[in-house]
Amino acid sequence: MTADKPPPSLEDLDERLRKARSAQEHAKPPTRSGPIGQALRLSTEMAAALVVGAVIGWNLDSWLGTKPWLLLLFLVLGLAAGLLNAYRAAKRLQDAVDNEDKSSGA
Amino acid sequence: MPQMEFADYAPQLIWLAITFITLYVLMSRIALPRIADVLEQRQLRLSNDLEQASALRDEATKALEAYEATMAEARSQAHAIAMETRDKIAAEAEKRRAAFDAELEAQTAKEEERIQKAIAEVESNVRDVAIATAQAAGAKLLGEDLPADALGRAVDSQMEQRA
Amino acid sequence: MAAGESPLEQFAIKRLVEINIGGVDASFTNSAAMMVIVVVLVTLFLTLSMRGNAMVPTRWQSIAELSYELIAKTVRDGVGLEGRKYFPFVFTLFMFILFCNLLGLIPYSFTVTSHIVVTFAFAAFIFIGVTILGLVRHGAKFFSLFLPEGVPIALAPLLVPIEIISYLSRPISLSVRLAANMMAGHTIIKVFAGFVVALGLFGIAPFVFLILLYALETMIAFLQAYVFAVLTCLYLNDSIHLHH
Repeated sequence: MTADKPPPSLEDLDERLRKARSAQEHAKPPTRSGPIGQALRLSTEMAAALVVGAVIGWNLDSWLGTKPWLLLLFLVLGLAAGLLNAYRAAKRLQDAVDNEDKSSGA
Repeated sequence: MPQMEFADYAPQLIWLAITFITLYVLMSRIALPRIADVLEQRQLRLSNDLEQASALRDEATKALEAYEATMAEARSQAHAIAMETRDKIAAEAEKRRAAFDAELEAQTAKEEERIQKAIAEVESNVRDVAIATAQAAGAKLLGEDLPADALGRAVDSQMEQRA
Repeated sequence: MAAGESPLEQFAIKRLVEINIGGVDASFTNSAAMMVIVVVLVTLFLTLSMRGNAMVPTRWQSIAELSYELIAKTVRDGVGLEGRKYFPFVFTLFMFILFCNLLGLIPYSFTVTSHIVVTFAFAAFIFIGVTILGLVRHGAKFFSLFLPEGVPIALAPLLVPIEIISYLSRPISLSVRLAANMMAGHTIIKVFAGFVVALGLFGIAPFVFLILLYALETMIAFLQAYVFAVLTCLYLNDSIHLHH
């Protein structure tokens, strides 16, 4: 016998096999952006919808000659759409965080 | 702001289209299939290795079980042999002891017989000596010959009383 | 780099080779040069790193495989199995934007993605493509995207315009986010690099800050490319599965 340390036990082998299996199945979790990035994202979502509302209102106004009422109306709608966008983006971020926590907590 | 130079839009868009489409073709035709291939092969290899390791582990478990079974069998066999040997030795000892006892008894019986005989001899000698002494004493004291059988009876009764 | 130069100077388009095809300006500019470099680098990176085809990957090969797996997972999680078809597109998009963002951080180079026209071209292409995909797949049912289920019909006149504005705002937020991030980051770096040069020996503190800024911008360069890919998957998913 040349072995100077005892051969690994079957339990040890089992443990290593299990580890190798789970390492093969679970990929690494996705990266998460920082709070500043998230805030920037949400504000972009809001501003974009506001701009779209303004552009639609402005064009409808000049087409129908209703200045400035449709611009005002669509600015309000744009604000609502912006809030909706921001809400959805925030919810997605939250879901992503929840999922990550769930998978890493398991 | 350079981003608002509308005259610069056309060349940017044209070259964006050219380069992006080129990259898309290069990726989808060459680079991605190769990476997918390598990853798939590794995945296959990994699961193969894992399977092999599992199989080897099962084999090891089986070997261990076989070893343990053999050990248990050997142990029970050894136990049986030990029991048998012990019984045999005990029987042998018993036989020898019995033979020794018998011999000892025979010897004892023989010795006893000899002693008995010696005692009887001594007793008869004592009786003869007593009768002879009584006859001699009678002859000397009484001057007459006392009958031997009467003396014998007297000696016998005396000896019985003393015994 | 002259201290007096405007930090916005780095975004200027310079025509290297004047080309004109049928009255359309197709000049080869500094932006086009960067795009060509990006295509060459991405292709070389992904082919050379995988050349070894090693079972135990080298560092470069691991990076290539990691980027592949990152986007594959993003598409799988975001769109599902039907997203497989669009994986090469999302991957190309990610690599192109990522390399444009990163190469732009090299001093004196040009950041392709700091121009809103480029990012908006991507966003508009995705927006139009995703809308056509939804219409072809679901026909008139595609418009149910604008009226969430379970909403009382009386609210429709209010909600439908809001949803439409929200939908139309997608390409704008998508493109503005990327271009604004790149422009802001690179402008700040340029300004601080100017400080370091102007201060000379006393510029050690700004120099340290510049290094930290570079680390942050590298992270943002990656994150913005990734966010672009994630949102592309999200929009694809909306069109394929018709729900937010």
